Amino acid sequence: MSLSSKATTSLVRHAARQQLPALRSSTSVVQKRNRADVTDASTSHAEFKSPFHRGLGEKQDTTVIPSFKKYRASGGENTNKLFQYFMVGAFGGLSALGAKNTVQDFLVNMSASADVLAQAKVEVDLATIPEGKNVIIKWRGKPVFIRHRTGDEIKEAEDYDWKQLRDPQPDSDRVKKPEWLIMLGVCTHLGCVPIGEAGDYGGWFCPCHGSHYDISGRVRKGPAPLNLEVPEYDFPEDNALVIG
Amino acid sequence: MSGVLSGLYSAFVKRNSIFLATIFTGAFATNIAFDIVSNKVWDQINKGRQWKDIKYRYMQAGDEDEDE
Repeated sequence: MSLSSKATTSLVRHAARQQLPALRSSTSVVQKRNRADVTDASTSHAEFKSPFHRGLGEKQDTTVIPSFKKYRASGGENTNKLFQYFMVGAFGGLSALGAKNTVQDFLVNMSASADVLAQAKVEVDLATIPEGKNVIIKWRGKPVFIRHRTGDEIKEAEDYDWKQLRDPQPDSDRVKKPEWLIMLGVCTHLGCVPIGEAGDYGGWFCPCHGSHYDISGRVRKGPAPLNLEVPEYDFPEDNALVIG
Repeated sequence: MSGVLSGLYSAFVKRNSIFLATIFTGAFATNIAFDIVSNKVWDQINKGRQWKDIKYRYMQAGDEDEDE
């Protein structure tokens, strides 16, 4: 560093040092004037007194303890505490509502819409089916067997020792009214449609691989692992059947 | 005033379990109330345009079950 540059830096430093006190005094003047303005203003009665104030004198009093007395609630703590808890609770409740509705909307979105549900049911007039006859209807793209069973057939289905079957199920579990047997016409083996009033047991016979079902739709012989499936159904009136 | 407030405080807020239960019960009630009110508003705005308002024009009292 050259001698001349050293000289200039020291000069600048000197100047800065000279200037600083002047700057300080000027700000204090401004502050003083502001204070005077507030106290002198005849229109305003309020005077802001900072909790951290150090006195009004020229010399600052550094021993004053900050006081927030002015801001404290006059009527005890209960009002404010209750208000705070109320706000917390209200927002918590609103969030819970929103969360619940979000989840619900997602779940409702997944369920079937009304037109699909309306198409998913089939009504059958049972009065047209005579005793001892089979009817096959289409329901959700699958055949459904409806059998109007005779008294002998009901007796036969109920009396059989069902505990020995491959898929043990009593006849009472498979029908709601004993004279009406309703089940899906899909073989539980590989999904062929069994033939009615056929097979060794007077029930259904699957031509594909030779499964025999009895008059209650239970598998008695052949490769099928399970009984024919019983769909959801109901009898809203005496001679009406609703499947689905 | 202060007695009421402190009563409310000790009744609902003091125990966290009761505070939470109050919040969820309130949310449940708000949900139902909101649904009812918004349905009423909707019906009021669409008065005379919904099926239940014009049903009598197309159906006799007897065959109510047919449709629903």
